[in-house]
Amino acid sequence: MSIDHRAGAHGERSVGNTAGSSDLAPTREQLAAMSHAELDMLGARLDDTEVVVLSNPPPPGSIAEKRAERQVALCFGLATLFAFAFVIVFWGAGWFLPDWEYEVGGSAFGTLFTPLLGLTMGSALAFLGIGIVLWAKKLMPHEVATQGRHGGASDPVDAQTAGGTIMAGFARTGLARHNIVRRSLLGAAGALGLLAIVPLGGLIKDPNRGRELVETAWDEGIRLLRDDGTPIRPSDMQPGSLETVFPAVEGGNRQADAATMLIRLRREQVEAVEAPPGQEDFGWEDYLAFSKICTHAGCPVSLYEQETGRILCPCHQSQFDVTRGASPAFGPAARALPQLPIAVDEEGFFVARSDYPEPVGPSFWNREKVEEG
Amino acid sequence: MTLSKPESGAARRRRRRLRRKLSRAAALLATLIVTGGLYAAMAPGSVAEDAADSNAVEAGRELYEQSCITCHGSNLEGVSDRGPSLIGVGEASVFFQVSTGRMPLARQGEQAFRGPVTFTDDEIDQLMAYIQANGGGPTLPSGDLRDGELAAGGELFRLNCASCHNFAGRGGALSSGKNAPNLSEASDLQMYAAMLSGPSNMPVFGDNQLTPEEKRAIINYVQTLDESTDPGGLGIGRAGPVPEGVVIWLLGMGVLLIGVFWIGSKA
Repeated sequence: MSIDHRAGAHGERSVGNTAGSSDLAPTREQLAAMSHAELDMLGARLDDTEVVVLSNPPPPGSIAEKRAERQVALCFGLATLFAFAFVIVFWGAGWFLPDWEYEVGGSAFGTLFTPLLGLTMGSALAFLGIGIVLWAKKLMPHEVATQGRHGGASDPVDAQTAGGTIMAGFARTGLARHNIVRRSLLGAAGALGLLAIVPLGGLIKDPNRGRELVETAWDEGIRLLRDDGTPIRPSDMQPGSLETVFPAVEGGNRQADAATMLIRLRREQVEAVEAPPGQEDFGWEDYLAFSKICTHAGCPVSLYEQETGRILCPCHQSQFDVTRGASPAFGPAARALPQLPIAVDEEGFFVARSDYPEPVGPSFWNREKVEEG
Repeated sequence: MTLSKPESGAARRRRRRLRRKLSRAAALLATLIVTGGLYAAMAPGSVAEDAADSNAVEAGRELYEQSCITCHGSNLEGVSDRGPSLIGVGEASVFFQVSTGRMPLARQGEQAFRGPVTFTDDEIDQLMAYIQANGGGPTLPSGDLRDGELAAGGELFRLNCASCHNFAGRGGALSSGKNAPNLSEASDLQMYAAMLSGPSNMPVFGDNQLTPEEKRAIINYVQTLDESTDPGGLGIGRAGPVPEGVVIWLLGMGVLLIGVFWIGSKA
């Protein structure tokens, strides 16, 4: 590609003067006689800018220009067509086109309705964009402008007078003299700042206050309920099954930390159980209950593999061995899932014997500390 | 809604009387059917049926000894490191394993996968009869297995099944090379049998945990998923946000980059 410098651009270029080249300034009559393009170039020269033309568009009336025009017009035309197609699909559905209502096993048009809207709108925008880019590429000159770097500090007179303008303006406000106005304004500004900061306070919570992170709604005698609120008898579940249970308190099945897995082991698994020390009596016969919240990142661990007795967390593939107190057997989780001590009440329904012995879910910075407190 | 024309009181009364007569007739018919059905169910079965049953058990035993005995033992007691005991697994388990081609097992591995079915329907019935005759266990249901409330089925599916089988029933990975299979190939009866018997690593969902009505609702939901269209366009396997992300990153970003290069290139 050849770079052709515009004739004359170099010679008239003035270097280094911030104020522009006064020797270039034309008279009023000269200005009136100049065309738009000439005025544009004059402005650039006065700004110490040089425009280098890389390539010119095809000459007017040439075959190349006609072809480029047709391409751009075709793109704009297609954009118009697609925009109309969008309107037709949108308003036509249920009028002269079939209705688009979603239904199981629905019509082909119902399936295509949304994609058609996306396709027509997307195509209209895309062809408009392609047309604009083609227009710029094929029908406009390609230029590069360079501008000389201006000198450093402002003229001392300019700097001093500008400073004077600001200081005199301040003096005219009288703020230095009217103490009461100044102070009350400062007070108002400070109060407004406080107003902006105060809502942030709601986001800050003392993690050492309260036992929210340590305790769940489970407590002695609280029944284990299914999601639909029904209690569970030991005869309800088959060996090798799992049920997600919630505490029998108001809104228990919406509490993020209370979700618990009630698992009934198969006979051969019961024999293989190695409960961790202190948790030997947490289960009830062949039933065990563990927190459903992963100790790694807090995902619900509900992929229970009843044959291997492993609970898999879908987020990071941590695995917990049910027969060994849900201790981690694989993956990033470092602690066992907390076990809920369970029993059966007089009416024959499962109840909790206490809350979890430790905080459920992932570790947090002061976990050990709040656990003791 | 249609607006009904005002009608005379006499006509209304006539119609009400007719309706009352019809409902009485229907009640009588229903009572007769129930009584007859109960009698048929309670009355001792005919000798011919018993003979047919024992024939089926005998034929099942022969099939068992040809195809299953190596891994499940000569008395269904199982062989350690090969196959589990089949005592008490019931016909539901046999139906699921054999009708999906998982059994007879092609080779020992992490899990039995769906494959070509080895036995004919009659042979499967015979195997089911043989296993059921030895230790009993869950039996197959009858009737319309999709006879359940669709929305409730969706709730139950997301609560009990979606964690492993994916929210659209497309299956998913488990640990150590095992997986929860795609449900689009499963028949109604296979799904029901799987819930009852808990094949491989799937937990068991007994009738006290998910009632037969709830099971039917879940099956109705899963089968409806297959028939439902993708109103948003391409389903991309409906496997969730990962393939959707891959498509938009590779395809979408690719198209955008090509566009950027084209705009930036010199004419």
